[in-house]
Amino acid sequence: MSNAVLISIISMAGLGLFFATLLAVINQKLKVEEDPLIERIMEALPGVNCGACGFASCHQYAEAIVNDKVTIMSCRAGGESVSGRLSEILGVKAGEAIKELAFVHCGADESKRKKKASYTGIKSCVAAHNILGGEILCEYGCLGYGDCVTACPFAAIKMVNGLPRIDREKCTACGRCVIACPRNLISVKRMEQGGSIYVACKNQSKGAETRKVCPVGCIACGICQKLTNGVFYVENNLARTHNERLSEIPDKEEIMRKCPVKCITK
Amino acid sequence: MLVNLTLIFIAAAITHNFVLTYFLGICPFIGVSKKIEQAAGMGAATTFVMTLAATVTWVIYHFILVRFNLPFLEYASFIIVIASLVQIVEMFIRKTSPVLYRALGIYLPLITTNCAILGLTLFMVLRDYKFLESVIFGLGAGSGFTLALIIMAGIREELECCDVPRPLQGAGITLIIAGILALSFMGFGGLISR
Repeated sequence: MSNAVLISIISMAGLGLFFATLLAVINQKLKVEEDPLIERIMEALPGVNCGACGFASCHQYAEAIVNDKVTIMSCRAGGESVSGRLSEILGVKAGEAIKELAFVHCGADESKRKKKASYTGIKSCVAAHNILGGEILCEYGCLGYGDCVTACPFAAIKMVNGLPRIDREKCTACGRCVIACPRNLISVKRMEQGGSIYVACKNQSKGAETRKVCPVGCIACGICQKLTNGVFYVENNLARTHNERLSEIPDKEEIMRKCPVKCITK
Repeated sequence: MLVNLTLIFIAAAITHNFVLTYFLGICPFIGVSKKIEQAAGMGAATTFVMTLAATVTWVIYHFILVRFNLPFLEYASFIIVIASLVQIVEMFIRKTSPVLYRALGIYLPLITTNCAILGLTLFMVLRDYKFLESVIFGLGAGSGFTLALIIMAGIREELECCDVPRPLQGAGITLIIAGILALSFMGFGGLISR
């Protein structure tokens, strides 16, 4: 009996040793010269190969950082600490990087919503949205049952007065809430250095109809378009923004003040 | 002898195709079947690993495991062999073709855990193949895997131009096609009875 155990151990160890030696020899022969920078970046990355950065593995992401100069901010598993270390290695200032955040494109809280019926079904946005659009009149607005809160893996969303509020410290722009919202109210955008500005409305009906269903809905008056020289623009009865040109706006407060329905927020 | 070998090859490649009849190795079958070149590269790598794995495991099984009466170690020793072979193939591809290496991505190291290869070695033991038969069996299984992957990639390239209903896009339609392909491969079933 002990003999069988001994023989199994010896034969397995022998096999292991044989293949280990073989691999070591072949590794030396087929060695690929690699940028030592890639190795150092690999050490800084979490190494879990989660794929959230859009590359199949951490190693591929490290290669892309060095060879194709892709951004060092893509690692979502590692977050800021990893991009901080990467910026040390590469000598790029971490301050230059721009944070991405989720923004909610609806400004009608519980007190401002106009209702057409009383909804007593399952307390979930998807369910309410599928049953004739829930109890609120606006076909585009937030239903307020917090599907995004449940979807957020970082506990960065809280419901305040029936509207999701995003904690900008905790938000990692993972985009789960974007998928969870049945009305596509949440989008992930770059956080501009001088503070963000966006349209908190998704209503695409004509101004007069929007007025009937919501006091803070965008009526597509076009004032923001005139004030900002086209950084804000109106399309399909809704004001939108050219995100990459947001820094051209000198006075963001002014636009927020001049919007007649106050649907532009920071 | 020659007839027997031919039969083993055809059985492994077509009538008892590993992917479409035994449903082994579905992961790379779905994952790397988007482009024909990638599929061919993956198929070649897998065929290489399969043939070598069949050869090496036959030697190890008959000259070590059977001789010392240790057949219970077949799983452990076969996995050592397969893992080492995959490592060698990975290093080789990385050295010779960085483009293919990048295209195959995570699926290349995943050949290690490809059930088709462990399945191949276990079938080989189960069916009591001789040495030459094992080598041909590995080659046939690999060719069958490549064939399935390339057919799938061809269909999926055509599919790029089709208007697939949204709920079926991606993996959904791929699995349906895999099912239809498996059905059509059943048509080869009468070719060889085994």
